[in-house]
Amino acid sequence: MNLKDLGSGESKLETTISYLLIIGVALSLALEIAGIAIFYKSHGNLDILLQDKAMFIQGRDFFSFLYQLFARGPMQNTGIFLMTLGVAALILTPFVRVIVSAMYFAWKRDARYTLITAFVLVATTVSLALH
Amino acid sequence: MLNIVSLSLISVLIGFLGSLTGLGGASILIPILVLLGVPVKEAIAAGMVSIIATSSGSAASYVRDRITNVRIAMYLEMFTITGAIVGATITSVIAPQYLYFFFAAFLLTSFIGLRRLTESSGAAPVNQDNVSRWLNLKGSYFDEAKKRVIEYRATNALWGGLGMIVAGLAAGMLGIGAGAFKVTVQENILKLPPKVSSTTSNFIIGMTALAATSVYLFSGLLNLTLVAPIAIGTTIGAVIGGRVLNRLNDKSLRFLFFAIVVYLIVQMLYKGVTSI
Repeated sequence: MNLKDLGSGESKLETTISYLLIIGVALSLALEIAGIAIFYKSHGNLDILLQDKAMFIQGRDFFSFLYQLFARGPMQNTGIFLMTLGVAALILTPFVRVIVSAMYFAWKRDARYTLITAFVLVATTVSLALH
Repeated sequence: MLNIVSLSLISVLIGFLGSLTGLGGASILIPILVLLGVPVKEAIAAGMVSIIATSSGSAASYVRDRITNVRIAMYLEMFTITGAIVGATITSVIAPQYLYFFFAAFLLTSFIGLRRLTESSGAAPVNQDNVSRWLNLKGSYFDEAKKRVIEYRATNALWGGLGMIVAGLAAGMLGIGAGAFKVTVQENILKLPPKVSSTTSNFIIGMTALAATSVYLFSGLLNLTLVAPIAIGTTIGAVIGGRVLNRLNDKSLRFLFFAIVVYLIVQMLYKGVTSI
């Protein structure tokens, strides 16, 4: 049995998406675990802080949130910064997957699926930009 | 006392169940968080992140193993995202109690063809309609439980698209991933095998949750001490689920799915009755 003969007939795309998801998930996990470790070192416990405003992340929309995150950098608390980066990596993973899919179908000159993935990409981008 | 470690461990189970059933797991996680004293809106916001983690964590395995059908997923995403955007827009003009009853009724359609779905046979051969054929909505995967390649063809592409709009509406209006609706549409309308439905639903729900997460980000409801351990736990659970699913037989998978759907129907009816 060859995996290339299975699936939806888009073996290259499936392999690319699979690696993309593994990288996104692994990066997110690593950042969040590192962030929690530093958080523990600075706070001395692993309590969930429901009232602490410093623990809440916010942005005008997803893209400005990303911009502010990288523009500001780890100014005050590296643990919080890494956890935020981890969440951002997690949220970005499916979005990047759609970008890659649209590019793949355009490269393959598959008009039907280029249009379908482009529609999904535009709709997602607009919903992320308009919060 | 709930802390980051215990929340991570609870989330492992949520991610595991979510990845096996294609439901995401937020509908199980959110009541647990509320029960533990987390404000409901923050619990829903954290639930959205758990859906993305479950989706990406399990899809990595399912796509690699060619169980998820990426063509079908991308075709259906077009409808579910449209439904989610429309749902989020009109949610303020429709009384929520009617929504709960409507979606509970929709979930009841999961039980249509229950006998066929719980039988352990391979995917039934389906005559494709013209649109499904034009979109090339077909595929195959190796079923480890059956030790053979299962070939399948989707049908009723347009009706499936309409069904996914309803699933998207549920996601947008109720702030859920609506995985149960997506699995139901794929099995009952598109006639996909249970494992393809679960894994393709898992792939799609990440996109639905993505748009919702942006709303909660704007509202400032994402608490890092909740979201980070939930993301870690659900990702690990989903990765484990991704390795287990293909070894389970369809019957076990369906019973697990229906058990959770019954729980969701009861939950929606309860919310509907108590909100009148």
